[in-house]
Formats: sequence, structure tokens, C-alpha cells
Amino acid sequence: MRLSTGWLAEWIDLPEDVDVLADRLTMAGIEIEGIERAGSDLSAIRVGHVLERNPHPNADRLSVCSVDLGGDAPVEIVCGAPNVAAGQKVAVAVPGTVLPDGTKLKKSKIRGVASQGMICSSEELGVPGDAAGILLLPEAAPPGACAGDWIDTGDTILDVAITPNRGDWVSVLGIAREVRAAYGGDLRWPDCAPEEKGAPTADAIRVAIDDAEGCHRYVARIIRGVRVAPSPDWVQKKLEAIGVRPINNVVDLTNLVLAEMGQPLHAFDLAKISGAEIRVRPARVGESIETLDGVERPLEATDLVIADAQRAIAIAGVMGGSNSEVSDASVDLLIESAQFHPSRVRKTARRLGLQTEASYRFERGVDPEGVARAADRVSRLIAEIAGGTVAPAPISIDGSAPQTAESISLSTARTNRLLGTDLATPQVAQLLQRIDVECEPADADHLVCRPPSYRNDLFIPQDLIEEVARIYGYDEIPTTLPAAQLQVGLRPLRRVLADGARDALRDSGLVEVMSFSAIPPGDLDALGLSSEDPRRNAVRLLNPIAEEASILRTTLLPSLLRGVQRNLNYQVDPVRMFEVSRVFHARPGELPEERNWAAAALTRGESRLLWGGTDPAPLFFEGKGIAERLLSALGYAAEFRSPCGEPFLHPGASSAIAVSGQSVGAMGELHPECAARFGIEAPCVVIVVDLTALEALPAREIRYREVSRHPAVRRDLAVLLDRSVAAGEVVEAIRKTAGNNLTSMDLFDRYEGKGVPDGKVSLALRLTFQRIDRTLTEPEVAKAADRVIKMLAERFGGQLR
Amino acid sequence: MASQTEELSQLEDDARAAIEAATTVQNLTEVRAGYLGRKGSLAAILRGIGQLEPAERGRVGQSANASKERIEAWVAARRQALEASDRSANLAQHQLDTSLPGAAGYPGQLHPVTRIEREIADFFTSMGFAIEDGPEVETDFNNFGALNFPDDHPARDMQDTFFVEGNNVLRTHTSNVQIRAMTGRTPPFRFVALGRVYRHDLDATHYPMFHQVEGFMVDERTSFGDLKGVLYAFARHLMGQEIQLRFRPHFFPFTEPSAEMDFSWQGGWLEWGGCGMIHPQVLENCGVDSERFQGFAFGMGIDRSAMLRFGIPRITHMFDGDLRILGQR
Repeated sequence: MRLSTGWLAEWIDLPEDVDVLADRLTMAGIEIEGIERAGSDLSAIRVGHVLERNPHPNADRLSVCSVDLGGDAPVEIVCGAPNVAAGQKVAVAVPGTVLPDGTKLKKSKIRGVASQGMICSSEELGVPGDAAGILLLPEAAPPGACAGDWIDTGDTILDVAITPNRGDWVSVLGIAREVRAAYGGDLRWPDCAPEEKGAPTADAIRVAIDDAEGCHRYVARIIRGVRVAPSPDWVQKKLEAIGVRPINNVVDLTNLVLAEMGQPLHAFDLAKISGAEIRVRPARVGESIETLDGVERPLEATDLVIADAQRAIAIAGVMGGSNSEVSDASVDLLIESAQFHPSRVRKTARRLGLQTEASYRFERGVDPEGVARAADRVSRLIAEIAGGTVAPAPISIDGSAPQTAESISLSTARTNRLLGTDLATPQVAQLLQRIDVECEPADADHLVCRPPSYRNDLFIPQDLIEEVARIYGYDEIPTTLPAAQLQVGLRPLRRVLADGARDALRDSGLVEVMSFSAIPPGDLDALGLSSEDPRRNAVRLLNPIAEEASILRTTLLPSLLRGVQRNLNYQVDPVRMFEVSRVFHARPGELPEERNWAAAALTRGESRLLWGGTDPAPLFFEGKGIAERLLSALGYAAEFRSPCGEPFLHPGASSAIAVSGQSVGAMGELHPECAARFGIEAPCVVIVVDLTALEALPAREIRYREVSRHPAVRRDLAVLLDRSVAAGEVVEAIRKTAGNNLTSMDLFDRYEGKGVPDGKVSLALRLTFQRIDRTLTEPEVAKAADRVIKMLAERFGGQLR
Repeated sequence: MASQTEELSQLEDDARAAIEAATTVQNLTEVRAGYLGRKGSLAAILRGIGQLEPAERGRVGQSANASKERIEAWVAARRQALEASDRSANLAQHQLDTSLPGAAGYPGQLHPVTRIEREIADFFTSMGFAIEDGPEVETDFNNFGALNFPDDHPARDMQDTFFVEGNNVLRTHTSNVQIRAMTGRTPPFRFVALGRVYRHDLDATHYPMFHQVEGFMVDERTSFGDLKGVLYAFARHLMGQEIQLRFRPHFFPFTEPSAEMDFSWQGGWLEWGGCGMIHPQVLENCGVDSERFQGFAFGMGIDRSAMLRFGIPRITHMFDGDLRILGQR
């Protein structure tokens, strides 16, 4: 809301410094989000007299003006404003002038014509007014004089953010009350009561509330014989300052009183009301109305309308209808001031997508006691300004009673317990009285409190305690640390696993990323998921920001692969990244299942691992090592099984990852087709692990073993095998055959090529034997080695090299 | 006899010269063998002892042993000298260009949000707040209704919401965890929740997803003053001892009194989050006796703290996975 401090000052005395006021209001809960200061420095702007206006030779919309700036000869200025004309007095900035927004004007040629200055609009000068054209100065301003002396630099405007519970603050009066609560003083109420003449209101109109739930109060006034015309300057300026466009004196004055008192008002052309009758009723099925903005709007039975004898003439609390609109020809007016049910207005306004100044106020609630007062005030102003006479005996009809608290019992002890303060009961009463809450002491500890009519947000003691705290000042409440029982700050297993996974992947040299939880639906196709794949079962957003983020991800991979692609584009080499986050699986009739996954991707491009490094292991095995370490860090032994069957992985270079026989993920090279669909051109290995699946699996406990004091015996074997033999099986078989004395085994070389027959591969293994209780004898080791060699020959056709 | 004594004396002199002349340890070993070895000169002299008179044998034997000891001592001294010079020669030879870059493999990095989340989690668990989790897709009731957002109330406009099927929403705040954690439990308790939240909002300073921390504490006496105290301790843990806070009255449906808090930043104030005393209706909605129990709740975004802490200029950097940014150390 734009709030004029000048207008506010009509109601209550203000502190001199606007920053002090803004700060005080902010600390009372009325957040001042910005201050537009009055008094732009216009001392350098000069008055110009437009002598001639000629068309620009090279541009239709521009004109070349000859302007007298009080010098020897007029100057030529190119102007783009449609409203510039010969004879006008205008504000001119000459080259070298610094405008209020800080820009320095330079000499320039515009479309080939040199311009020796600029004719300014109000916006360019930072003063109130119509931004569309140039600012016109009074006739009397002498050319060459300081234009600042002839321009109203306006008022300081506060940009006020109002919380949705405080409808009463959305007005000058509301803020004035808060200023009074902060600084004391008295409100200066304007005269409201109109001079009444002629036949009583009831002679001109009958009013009935058919929908009592929807309408709490309806006040009607009649003004006869007005002359609709533009408003006087002071009304227009007041409205423009707060961003309201002036229309005509009648409409402007309803807007003025709305801004001032927070009570929406509507003026109907009495001649257009059929049957001299106003009914506040639900809309009829099939009924529609053209609203003032020219849009035909279909209505529903839940909408509340203002109708005459025949048809709807306004949507209650939202917008008037064209069929009863005040025009220049209007003579007699019906002024409506009402209190409608907040959520009824809100529902209609939302359904129609039509939030208006009126609906905004009604949704937040208006002061029932302000309804008639606002009708009085606007009638008086219209009669004063637009002429006409106000009919005596306004009609006021009540529907259902609005929701208000009768009285609230407030305990001082309770107040102090909640706030951590040490207030006395009279002090509490004093604080509440500053915001018009009537307080009667019931006993030493209790007050019976009655909120004012304009507060529709005070029902329970806590509501009042908040007010006590607010007026007392949040800063005045002592800052303490709670006295509480010691307690263990537990972490859920989900978090422990997620953090462990992040640490392990970070330690493997990967960078953590976070990406949006929603992805394009097409990404599931790009992964190559079959139509039966459970990851097709995604949750769809009903109102996505874009189709590219319209389903919640069922796997982290698409986001990760898109990230890989982008980083390759950025020439990042290698790309090593991971994410630990949730995926969502739709479940009918229930909230989706949310599971935590870790996903990692690594590429290896042309850059060498390190300046002095040796050739690294193939990328797949680096990935496998990272997966092993990840699970090991979380307390699990990873098992790898090929093939794994994931459609996005290379069938010949991928493994399912399992723990205790249960599948928990997969890893491998990206399938070339999947890589192509994501635009990834470098070799890429990915790892995905379902951390939620791990939660149910028993983690290994760390158990240290004693080491032997006796020497270890090593045997190196180089064995020739068919390429088709899986090294993992060979290692497993050796482990089982070599006996209990085998303490470790390392596969330290794998070689194929020169010296090894085609189709064969040479594996080099180091077996280490050791006993904890004694030194092994040579024959014992030889026997174990022989067993291994025999087994390799028999089971795998292996030959020693 | 005299000749043997002379021989010994001559041998010692020769040995001494040869030992001093040895230039390597290997050379020295050979010299030693030439004099003291089984086939060495001293052995040859000793072999001649048998031909001497018994009285002479002892004397010559003693002299020979003395010679041997002296020669051994010279050898040892020379060996020590030669080894020392070898070592310094070796040291001199091993010269690395130590200005080459270190080579400990690729550096990994945690996301800025993760790092701040951990600091926050550590702080609150150290104060005995248990970490509690809740779903990101939440029922309308747990996200709004139970938190005292009435249907068709302007308070609902405060948060732009993503909707999904079945009257569910992407949680707009971590406050749903309040409802889930309090329901079925009896105070005293204190919890903290961390996680992703979503708002239907995208512009230069807003991303539709961000991270929040939510904390709440309920017992019979925890007050608004305690809320201020905990948040002050938290802010100073996170942002430094000199940080100041400002509590401004505000409106949230689920707290009363409610406040927004700002922290001091470069001479002004930056909005940090919202807080207040849990609304009695919210306590009752969770089955907690609001006459007996009271407590506070607070919530704030983490992302901006992370951006301020690490000097990240744009919110999109946080979520576009650009390793040129996130990989910085």
C-alpha cells in the first residue's frame, strides 16, 4: 500500500523525521518496504515556453519544439510526448543538468536533429503526476525561471506491507491509529455528517438482504442532483500520490474515502436501478454480469450480487456492473457502503481472478462501525464537490452478525509466562488501552478485555498477549536462554546415511550438486525406461512453472546427466559430481513414497589425471572403487553382479550393486544411446545407490583383529586364462581353496598382448599366508599354493606362466 | 723376532696409508680384507709365529692383536667418514622441483547448503534438539490446515504453492514437521527439521526450491524471551559474535505472538526468517494441551545464509550444478 505522509499528518501529529516514523511503524509490525521522498531537487530545471511545435523530419512520433528559455534566442528541443503543444509552459532540463534519478543529461542528436535539452515528464522529475506525457506548468511561470518553484514536489510516500490479519491497517485512519498507539496524541477526525435535504432515502430505494450469511451490513444513501465532472486538483493529487488514477469526482471521492477509512464504497446511477430496489442475493444459475472493466463474467450460486428488481448490477465486494455505472450524464446517485462476508468475497474474487481494492479490504474484514460513517463522509464530500443534496434517513440493514469476540479474559501471569516478562496487571491494561482495547480488572491477575469494532483479529488471550508484546516492544522483552531438561540431540538414520554418503563421495573427489526436484517427463524416455518400469510412476505437478519441471523425479539420474552435459559444454574436464536427495514414487490414495538416493557421475576427458601420474585404471573401475568405498563408509560390503539390466547402462560394462544379496543400486558406463539422448559425448560412468534400502539392512560393526608376530610368506602366481573367465570368480575361488592361512590376496596385474596368446589374459596374483600362532612351514605354504594351482587348472583351464 | 716386530710396524704403516687412501666403502672393505682378512698380511705374519720360541710367541701375538685393533679402528673411522660423505652426496643428488603442484587426487567438495545445514544441525543437536524429518510432498492439512491457515483466508496468499494430485502440495515450509513431530507425543520436546521446501516463484532472486531450518520447543515455561535467546545464540554461532538481531511483529497463522527477524548486515538489516510462540490451536491440533504447555517455533531459509557466507552472487548458482562454481574451494 502506498501511504502519503501528508495525508497521514492530516489525521495525527507525526515525528519530524520520516525515517524515525518508518522505523517505529516497522517495529510495530507495519513493515515499511520503501520510502519515496518528497522534494526532488529541481533547482537546475528551468521553465520553458513552447513557441512552436513542428513535426520531426525523420520520425512520426517526435516533434521539434522551439522553446524560449528566457535567453536571447529560443532553442530547439526534440520531444516525444504526444501532449506537447505550442503555448505551453514546460519544465526543461538543459545539457549538463543532473536529473533526480542521477542521470546527467548530454547534448544529443535524435534522428538527425540536434536537441538542446529535454522537456521533462513528472516521472523524469520524480514528482507526482501522469507519467505518460510531459509535465505542464502554470501559465504564469516566466521562461528561464527555476521550474522547481512552480512544481508541486509532492509528498513523501511510504510503501507499506500489511499482513493479511490486519485489514484495519489498510487505510490512512488505520495507520494513524498505530501512530497514536506509538506516540500518543489524538486523531483528528474529519467532519462526516452530511447536510440532509429533501425526501427521505426510503422514498427512492428499498433495500433487502436475501443472503444474510453473505452480508453483515448494508448502508444506502441517496444523493440527488450531482454534476459529474473531473475532480478538483487536490483530490486528483491525493489519489495520484497513492497510485490511483482519477476518473470523475464521484468515483474519485469513493476512492478517496476508501483510502482514508478503509471502507469500500460504490456509487450507482440511481436512474439505472430498476424497480427502485436493491437486493443483496446469491447469483442465479446462468446469470452473468458485465463488470466495470468491460468483461462479461458468468456467475455461480455461491457468488453474492447486488441486484435491482431485474438483474445483477454489481458483484458484491468485488466490482460494480456496467449497467449501473456512474457516467457524465448521471444526476442521482445511490451510495453503497457495506460489510460483506470475507471468505465469500474471497472465493468469488479468486474464481474470477479479479482482485480489486474493494475485495482486498473485504477479504481482510472492515469495521462494522465504519460502514455508515464512510457513507456519511463520502456523501458529504460529493455534495460539497459535485453538488447535489443528500437525502435524510439513510437505510442501514444488518444481515448475519460478523464474527467478533464479546470479551476476552486475560491473565497477567499467563501473559508473563508466555512472553518471559514481568508486567503488572495495570501495565498490561495500559498497553492494551493504547490500541483501544477496553480493559476492566476482574481480579488482581485478570482483565476483562473488549477489543474495538475495527479489530476482527482478536479472539483469544494469545491474540491480546501478542498486542501487549507489540506495544510493549519486542526489543524490551528480556532475551533469555531456556531452562530445560538435558536431552540427547538425536539424528535420524536417514540423515546419518545421507551425510555419510556425501562425505564418502566428497572424499572420492566428487563435487556435490543440488538440483530441482522436478524434471521434464521426457527425461524418463531418454533414460530408456520401459513402460512397466516402476520409475514411470511419477507424481505430476498440477501447476508447474514449466513443462521442463512438471513431474517429480523418480530417479536422480536425469538431473545429474543434464548436469554432466552442461559441464562438458562448459569444458569442465573431468566432470565428477554427485547428488544425495529424495525421489518420489506416486502411490494411489496416499502420499508418495519418498526415498533417499545417492547418484554420482564421472567422466574422463583428454586431460591427464595428474602432471606426474601413471595411467589410471579404466573409468569403470574407478567408478566401481568409488561405489565400494561409498558402501564401505556406510558400513556395508558391496557386491557387484553383471549384467545388471538397467536400460541406461552399457550392457557389457555395468553391474548391479547389492548388499547382503539385496539389490541397492547399479553402476557402470552410460549406455551409448542414453548418453546420446542427453548429449554426453565423453565416456561417462554413473553410480546410483538407494540409501533408503540400506536403512533396513544391518550395517557391519567395526571389529579390529590382532595381527601376527610371525612372518608372512608371499607367493606370486601368474596365470594364463581365457579372456572370458571373470577375474572376480577366480579371486573368489582362490580364496576358498587356499585355506585359512591365506590372509590376503591382491590382483596386481592384468595383461594381454605381446607374449600372451590371443584370447588369453594373464593375471598376476599375490597370495599372502600367515598364522597368528606360529611361523608357517615351507611345505604348508607349498601345499596350499599347489592346491590353488590345481584348482585353477581344473576349474578355469588356467596355466601358470 | 725383531724382523716380525718390524714387519708388523711396517704393516701398520702401510695399512694406515691404504685406509686413508680408500675413496669408497667398497674400496675400504677390500683394503681391510688385504690386511686383516684370512688371506691378509696380518694372517701371514701370524702364521709365522709357530716358528718362534714359545716366549716370543706370546709377545709377538700380543703385538699382532694390538696392530689388528688399531687397524680396525682406523677402518671404522674411515668407514664412518666415507659413509657420511656418501650420504651428503646422495642428498645433494636428490633435488626436486618442489614448486610442482601437489598431487593428492581430485578434490571433492560439499554443496554450500550442505555445509551450512551441518553447522546448523550441529548447533541444535548440541542444544539437545533432536533432528526430525518430514515428507516434501505433504497433505494440504499438514502444510496448511493443521497450522491454522483457514480455507479461503488471505493468509494462504502468503505462500505460492505447487499442487499435486489428491489435495496434496509440495511443502511450502518445513513447518509440516511440527505437526508430524508433535502429534502423539507429550512435551517436553524440542526438535529441529532441515530440508527442501517449494514456492511457485521464479525470478532473479527467487528459485522455486530452497532449504529451510525449522526449530520448535515445547514445555511448560519456554517463553518468547527464550525464543529470542535461542535465536541469538544460533545467529551468533552461524554468522559471528558481532551479529545483531531485530524482532519485528508479524503475522503467521501458526504462531502468536509472531515475529519476523532481521540480522544486521553491512549497516542495514536483512530478513532472516519468521518465529513466534506456537499458536494454541496448532498445539491442540496435535493433541497437546495448550493450557498447560507452550513453546516456540522458528523457521528460516538456509540458502541465503550460505550465499552470504561464501559470497555466492546468484541464487541460480546454487542449483544449476555448475562445477566451475560448486567445485571452487
